Amino acid sequence: MKGKCYIQGLAAITPQHTFEENLFSQPLVSTNTNVFAVTEPDYKTFIPANSLRRISRLLKMGLTAALKCMQDSSLGVPEAIVTGTGKGSLQDTERFLKDIRQYEERALNPTPFIQSTYNAVNGMIAVQQQVTTYNNTFVHRGFSFESALLDSMLLLEEGISHTLTGAFDEISAEHFYIKSRIGHWKKEMVNSAELYNHLSPGTISGEGAVFFTLTAAPTPKSYARIAGLKMLYKPSPAALTTGLASFLGRHGLAAKDIDLVITGRNGDNNFEHYYRQLDLALPQVSQLPFKHLCGEYETAGAFALWLGAQILKAQQVPQQWFPMASQIPATLNRILIYNHFFGEQHTFILLERIAAPVV
Amino acid sequence: MITAIGDTVAANFVSLRQQQSGLGFTRYIDTIYKEVLPVAEVKHSTEELSTMAGVPSSPEYTRTTLLGLLAMQEALQQAGIKDLQQEPTGFINASTVGGMCDTEKVYFDITDPEKEGDFLKYIDTLDCADCTQRIADTVGLTEYITTVSTACSSSANALMYGARLIKQGVLRRVICGGTEALTRFTLNGFNSLKNVDKRPCRPFDQQRNGLNLGEGAAYLVLESESLVRENNSVILAELSGYCNSNEAFHPTAPSPEGDGAYEAMKNALAMSGRSMADVQYVNVHGTATLNNDVSEGKALERLFGTQVPPFSSTKPFTGHTLAAAGAIEAIYAVLAIQHQVIFPNLNYSEKMEELSIAPETRLLEQVPVNTVISNSFGFGGNNASLVISKYEG
Repeated sequence: MKGKCYIQGLAAITPQHTFEENLFSQPLVSTNTNVFAVTEPDYKTFIPANSLRRISRLLKMGLTAALKCMQDSSLGVPEAIVTGTGKGSLQDTERFLKDIRQYEERALNPTPFIQSTYNAVNGMIAVQQQVTTYNNTFVHRGFSFESALLDSMLLLEEGISHTLTGAFDEISAEHFYIKSRIGHWKKEMVNSAELYNHLSPGTISGEGAVFFTLTAAPTPKSYARIAGLKMLYKPSPAALTTGLASFLGRHGLAAKDIDLVITGRNGDNNFEHYYRQLDLALPQVSQLPFKHLCGEYETAGAFALWLGAQILKAQQVPQQWFPMASQIPATLNRILIYNHFFGEQHTFILLERIAAPVV
Repeated sequence: MITAIGDTVAANFVSLRQQQSGLGFTRYIDTIYKEVLPVAEVKHSTEELSTMAGVPSSPEYTRTTLLGLLAMQEALQQAGIKDLQQEPTGFINASTVGGMCDTEKVYFDITDPEKEGDFLKYIDTLDCADCTQRIADTVGLTEYITTVSTACSSSANALMYGARLIKQGVLRRVICGGTEALTRFTLNGFNSLKNVDKRPCRPFDQQRNGLNLGEGAAYLVLESESLVRENNSVILAELSGYCNSNEAFHPTAPSPEGDGAYEAMKNALAMSGRSMADVQYVNVHGTATLNNDVSEGKALERLFGTQVPPFSSTKPFTGHTLAAAGAIEAIYAVLAIQHQVIFPNLNYSEKMEELSIAPETRLLEQVPVNTVISNSFGFGGNNASLVISKYEG
């Protein structure tokens, strides 16, 4: 939708050991429970103990990922904080609902109410890092993170130096149950590593907090260039196909220019047909699905972007995560990310290697 | 738009001119504060709202969605948009708690495996995206849609984001605003913060003691100049400046000197190209909480010195409508420009000791109003100011 921007720093708290150094030597983490919880880092390194006690899980995840991302970019305080979250702090929302019932609306502790506010993580990062400039939060399911990304690209175009752009979502046992009642998850327990071999109704749930530092110009440290972004709302099959063609066309690309596709495939046969359409549109291109690494959640697109950026920079795929991968090109210049959230919000992100030759 | 003082923009204007507040006790929220804490509730049951909006009365259409849908239908009609497919049209909505107004009533049934029923349809409405999508699907908005949630500044930020999408040529038309229904959740939330007054709120008054919550929805159709010229559309006003700045001070309280409010107003005004002297009215955030009014008042004094323009809070009319407030008050700013009026700040009697300024308490008519600042400040230190001006070509 907009110009180009560069990933200068990143950090991810996800079910995999993504918070550690050198992802290429980290083992594949899997689950048999259909609920993929994040591997939590030691928050104490990032958040003082007295604050840690007061804040809930999602706030810890979000703040820590944001701080680590700032460290990674070493660009200092960002000029904007823009985030996306599908559900905000579920645990706080659940707790405040329960408190209202249990205490019959009397003498309530306001903390869960405050922390349930969708922009609570943003506010906390701003206070901690004294970021007094632009601050925004998008809360639109599978467009939450991508809207934050678009907003960030607009900001960079408007001339700000760098943004802190991220996404965070958590899953709780209660919410897992709620969404199971409308068929979001598989009825049978599957091993996450085997997700794509179990095509059936529903998928497995996940969570994560992922942040990026974005700039308008590259540096020797840049991970990758975000060259394009497109969101399609409830497209018909035909609109999806033409949407992809016009997205590639706008960037002067054809199918042969894409070296790798990262897809949001998740073993859910209710919506598998969208990914099949992609297979048909880009028949010769190698694919890597990623939901067996993080599960399904509103802002899983941020995980895909993190993965793509790492792959482009390292020019290799973490083999231990992708035993199913075959025929990965030796040189990776362009990655297309295609994801959708339960068939409603569809997103394309075009990611380029910094040294990619011009087509 | 729809608020406690009217189902349409015209009805809102009538109530504003008649100085008719929408505050009273709730008929629809199940709370122990039913007859204790006044709220500004839209005077229709959820069933009536669905009839008015022409959609079936069913769980899929929460009160949040219905308020938004009614406001959207009016906005499209007023802008003369019959076919949304003629021009790619974005929709930037704002919400603080999505369908909570209805889901809070069935939440413990939803989590109870023993219970089955129609209430399971509410599960989809738990988040903030649901209302946006229902509204979009009902009226046929198929292009880019998204939802902003930055607490009480949400719809001001939606307007800003929409304006920037247009400015950078992503879209030529974006419909922006927000929708908010009263909930037991938010009422208890603000009450637990000791921020809710048992009396009608008294913005900028020495004796003020908190806010009253309200509900409503409002949308503004933003178009690029090129599209307006192509279609010969009627221009109601220009969104000439905006700024979002953060206080970085406290999760729920503003800084005592109003740093964020000051920065937001100053930068928005600078972008608009208008001078301090051009500002003829400030529709303040003015929630009547102890902290907000000191902070916002200080910011006004810092920015305008001894020449603070007439200002008023319209929250005593509509209550604090949270995510919808920015858009509702943006429309009030447009009305002030269209009709050359300044709306009164109700319930004021005693000047605040911290400030040397006082709000406008009279309805001023036939006064020149060409440039208005509209403020919306929220939790997380999120401050948004909009400058709305008479369009002069």
